[in-house]
Amino acid sequence: MQTRYLIAGSSHAALSALHAIRMADADGGVTLVTRDARLPYSPTVLPYVVSGRSDPGRVFLRDEEYFRAHKVDYLPGVALAALRPQDQTAVLADGRTVCYEKLLLATGATPVIPTVEGLSGVPYHVLRTLDDAVGLHQAMSGVREALVLGGGLIGMHAAENLARTGAKVTVIEAEAHVLSAYFDADASGIIEAAFSANGVDLHLASRAVSASRDERGRIRLTLGNGHSPAGDLLLVATGVAPAIGYVNGCGIQCDQGILVDERMRTSADDVWAAGDVAQARDFFGNARVLNGILPDAVEQGRIAGMQMAGDQAAKDYAGGVPLNTYSFFGKQALSVGTDGRGFADAEVHKSFDPQTGRYLKIVMREDRLLGIFSIDRWIDAGVMWELILRRTDLGPVKAQFLADPQRAARVLMSKTWR
Amino acid sequence: MGAYSTISFDAPKCDGCNDCMLACAQAKSGTDEIARSRIEVLKSNGSFELAMCRQCGDPRCVQNCPAAALEKNDATGVIDWDETKCVDCLLCTVGCTYAGIAYDRAAGHVTKCDLCDGDPACVKACKPGALRYVTTARIYNEVGQLEDLFAPGLSGCQGCNTELLMRHTLRRVGPDTVLATPPGCVPGMGSVGYNGQTGTKVPVFHPLLTNTASMLAGVRRFYKRKGRDVTAMALAGDGGTADVGFQSLSGAAERGEEILYITVDNEGYMNTGMQRSGCTPYGAWTSTTPVGERGQGKTQDAKNMPLVMMMHNCAYVATASTGFMEDLYEKLDRAIAASKRGFAYLHVYSPCTTGWRFPSQQNIEVARKAVETNFVVLWEFDPKNGVRLTRPVDHPLPLAEYVTMMGKFRHLSGEQLEHIQASVDKHAAFISRLAGERDAQMIRHLAANRTAA
Amino acid sequence: MSAVLKPRSRVVVCDANEAAAWGVALSRVDMVAVYPITPQSSLVEFLAKFIVDGTLSAELVDVEGEHSVMSVLQGAALAGARTYTATSGPGLAFMFEPYLRAPGLRLPLVMSIVTRDTLTPQCVWGGHQDAMSVREVGWIQIYCESAQEVLDTVIMAYRIAEHPEVMLPVNVCHDGNYLSFAVSRVELPAQDAVDAFLGDKDVNWHAALDPDRPMAVDPLTGGSGGAGPRTFTRYRQGHCNGMQRALEVISEVHEDWEKHVGRRFAPLVEAYRMDGAEHALVTIGSMTGAAKDAIDEARARGEKVGLVKVKTYRPFPGATVIGALDGVKAIGVVDRSVSFGWNCGPVYQDVMTSLALARSAVPALSFIGGLAGADLTIGHFHRAIGEVAAVARGKAEPGRTLWLNEAD
Repeated sequence: MQTRYLIAGSSHAALSALHAIRMADADGGVTLVTRDARLPYSPTVLPYVVSGRSDPGRVFLRDEEYFRAHKVDYLPGVALAALRPQDQTAVLADGRTVCYEKLLLATGATPVIPTVEGLSGVPYHVLRTLDDAVGLHQAMSGVREALVLGGGLIGMHAAENLARTGAKVTVIEAEAHVLSAYFDADASGIIEAAFSANGVDLHLASRAVSASRDERGRIRLTLGNGHSPAGDLLLVATGVAPAIGYVNGCGIQCDQGILVDERMRTSADDVWAAGDVAQARDFFGNARVLNGILPDAVEQGRIAGMQMAGDQAAKDYAGGVPLNTYSFFGKQALSVGTDGRGFADAEVHKSFDPQTGRYLKIVMREDRLLGIFSIDRWIDAGVMWELILRRTDLGPVKAQFLADPQRAARVLMSKTWR
Repeated sequence: MGAYSTISFDAPKCDGCNDCMLACAQAKSGTDEIARSRIEVLKSNGSFELAMCRQCGDPRCVQNCPAAALEKNDATGVIDWDETKCVDCLLCTVGCTYAGIAYDRAAGHVTKCDLCDGDPACVKACKPGALRYVTTARIYNEVGQLEDLFAPGLSGCQGCNTELLMRHTLRRVGPDTVLATPPGCVPGMGSVGYNGQTGTKVPVFHPLLTNTASMLAGVRRFYKRKGRDVTAMALAGDGGTADVGFQSLSGAAERGEEILYITVDNEGYMNTGMQRSGCTPYGAWTSTTPVGERGQGKTQDAKNMPLVMMMHNCAYVATASTGFMEDLYEKLDRAIAASKRGFAYLHVYSPCTTGWRFPSQQNIEVARKAVETNFVVLWEFDPKNGVRLTRPVDHPLPLAEYVTMMGKFRHLSGEQLEHIQASVDKHAAFISRLAGERDAQMIRHLAANRTAA
Repeated sequence: MSAVLKPRSRVVVCDANEAAAWGVALSRVDMVAVYPITPQSSLVEFLAKFIVDGTLSAELVDVEGEHSVMSVLQGAALAGARTYTATSGPGLAFMFEPYLRAPGLRLPLVMSIVTRDTLTPQCVWGGHQDAMSVREVGWIQIYCESAQEVLDTVIMAYRIAEHPEVMLPVNVCHDGNYLSFAVSRVELPAQDAVDAFLGDKDVNWHAALDPDRPMAVDPLTGGSGGAGPRTFTRYRQGHCNGMQRALEVISEVHEDWEKHVGRRFAPLVEAYRMDGAEHALVTIGSMTGAAKDAIDEARARGEKVGLVKVKTYRPFPGATVIGALDGVKAIGVVDRSVSFGWNCGPVYQDVMTSLALARSAVPALSFIGGLAGADLTIGHFHRAIGEVAAVARGKAEPGRTLWLNEAD
């Protein structure tokens, strides 16, 4: 097979790149291969399929008609197996080869299974595919006790869903706090308190040492802290890693993920990478990082797509900014930017109202915003992200910003980039 | 994908009354809590700022949605939110840099502007007119697919308003047209071509400066006789219209010749070096009304061609401006229709970056300011309905805001400015009286109908 | 289009203005643009009446001046119409700008000039000065002697103008007052004979404004570089070639007219009693009738004198004129207008140029008469014959200009 653009993957980064390509090149041949046999969907929606809130038949981001209308040769259920970038050739899992002019690697991530003695001998769930979600949803009914290994977004969403069904839930998290990738200790503390209040048992700074079946057939984990919780169901959600087995030995430079420059180019000519597989520049430092969040995947995919199609309007990637949104037990947690770690001169303004549970933390440096975090207090995350990326001088409005960041940011937005 | 209607915010007109927010909250949440409005006007140091959904063309909120709950509606342009798919993850709000989609705590989900199905409550509630529902996009949707009937690469000056006008009008008028472009900028930039080539995709000819209307009358009459509906259209400068071409124009209008006559009024002979015409306004510098010890520009007011043409009782007469394209297109449509039954005259004020001496990117702004100061009054006339102001300016800006935009008025003395201001005021009052007379006519007409019934 | 003229020929008594109008009606023109002026007015009144009473099915455009008359008709002709108008003196002057343009556009317009002397001195009377003033702008000019010739020539003018190798506008000139208002017997040819003679008018595809075949009519040309000067020069050459070809076409058309209608007029020049003539007069227009009477009387006296009438004046049939004058010893050219630059009549000037080109040194006199409606009588022509005879005998100086009405 031959194609002008080969896109590997079908989630946000891949779809964003496809959209950008078609904005600049309406006709160039596009082939999209993806290991998932389903229509494109987002891993982020899976916890809602688990909870039953989302109908698994209505979560698809694109349909066949979209690919037809955009003249895309869409090949689901076919993974990328190997690459020969020097020949501009990709080998598919079914043995076919594809010659491409431009290649985007956006194959996402797969769950990391921790080394726990006996784990392979017990049944457990992971949550990365729609099939995983449908399976977990079905398995949940009738569960009285559940174990969740990992206190990240997937684990916490699942824990909440299980708790809402009336199950007794135990979460085991290796770090000192849940959701530590996005929230500081204070915010995480508020989130943890909400889970505890809803009967979820949290084991923080704990690791599972071994897994086994107990006498009643339940799964029992033995923790480093000496506890040994048991449950009818185990979800392993200890994180994900880029799904990039196909790059082995092909010469494309990798670290934790595929290394890319500010235009999402890999070390190989005519090969780009975006989304969970891409290890790209960090906005706040010089390191290249994996920033596995949905809005960043969209941004990276867009930049890669524009570069691939030669779009004159393409700009460099500004760098990854950690950010996320998280709803739990009816509360909203928002995080945008860095909490100031690594900046000795960062100033932190924090407020917490124990009565209402509203939390706000603003991190600034040289009158520029580094990060802003809130619980149950609305801030426009997209506007804040833009203030960080633009390094907008907040000096003239600092008092207003600290007092009411949402209002001050909206005024700045309206004056600056409306 | 088409173009869409949108809400525009004219901040200087806002008085901060918050009626828009109240109207939105009532319409969308059923409460009087303006915090639940999907439009927010913010006061800051005396100015007013706005946060609301822009209904982006390439919306990031949609791409950020993991649940396919947001979608740009191709038909309406609105970014639709599907409650049955939304999972309250809030990632859409990360994608929006305009604070256009936000969490409504009382509702328990995100909310955003949906333009109220094309009849926005906020706009209706805005008494000062700061919010407007701009439907100009219909122009693009209706004529965007029509062929541009001028060749690319016409050699107008950078930022030429006339070229803009030419391309817009002929595209709308369509291919069954015979176009006359008397000497001036229109043929000068290559529309009739050079040495056997052409710059226009419809039959085009270069009449004399003096006989545009007459030649077109011959063309139209003969085709009509043969049973063919061919639009006879002129794109003529103000000099060829008001000065040397006036006799043939007046004769054709009096005879009711079926012609679409568009005057591109750049207030002088701009193609040949910016000489004075009958349409040059008082005080203006031109190369034949220079500024020096014994002269300070033109010493007479401009001939008011559209009013002169109205007194010919044409089938349609209107003034228009490229600063107000929707108004222009509506008039163009009416003028085209009128040109099938009589003489249709459209007088378009066309700022000239080269001849009036202002930066080329200021063209539309100059056109706009002319209207906002009442230097140009937008109106239309037909014999049945009389005169109607199509964009009345209730609070005109001081004329100084217009004349200071361009070099041709740079020398104006206070006295000269007063003269122009007085003429402008008098003219605006005169047209308003004519428009009022129309209302009186209509009332009489209705009364007569009632009596008859 | 359905004219209601009788299929058979018939005889009417009318002046040349009406005769011209009948010619127009028989030619089934599509459009007539009119603006009244003395002495043309009755001509356009007849046309308006013909159109209103259904004799002629045509668009009547009664415009606000002669400038627009010519402009409307150019527009119509560019759309493919067969057109007609007529004017006189100041009207022609006012029309000059678009008039100048018609031949360059190669539009086959037909326009009568009911000749009138030009202002100033202020006057409303006949004279050829108006038509003669536009003799060098590229129109074909034909001068008629009688109302019948006017009618026939108006019809023939369309064949000439629309001939693909000519494609030029034609002025059919007839004298104001003497022809415009004097009635005589005129035979109207049958409509079907005229139809067969003229055929249908085609669109002038070289310059046509038709949305089905878009073209730019009259783009800018000329200048000092590129294709400009070459393009312009070729237009001019083509125009001159068309004029020269017209000399042949005019003759062919007159022959064909005779075949269809049975009436013959000399197409370019008419030689009258030139057999053995020792001297001759050259005339143009309606004066020829009185001149012929004078020639007859002189011949009756035994004087060997003849007459050559110029009918086609532009293009000038120089060789034909010289051929008709072959053998004479002196020539007198009678003009009804003035060439100010040469202090003589313009026809005289053309004859002299033709003689020079033929390397002939026949002596000649220029007579100017009939200005501003003045009568040119048999007596005036006898005087002219006498002066020419004197030159022929070597008893008077040639090269002089004699004014025939200065003592009237």
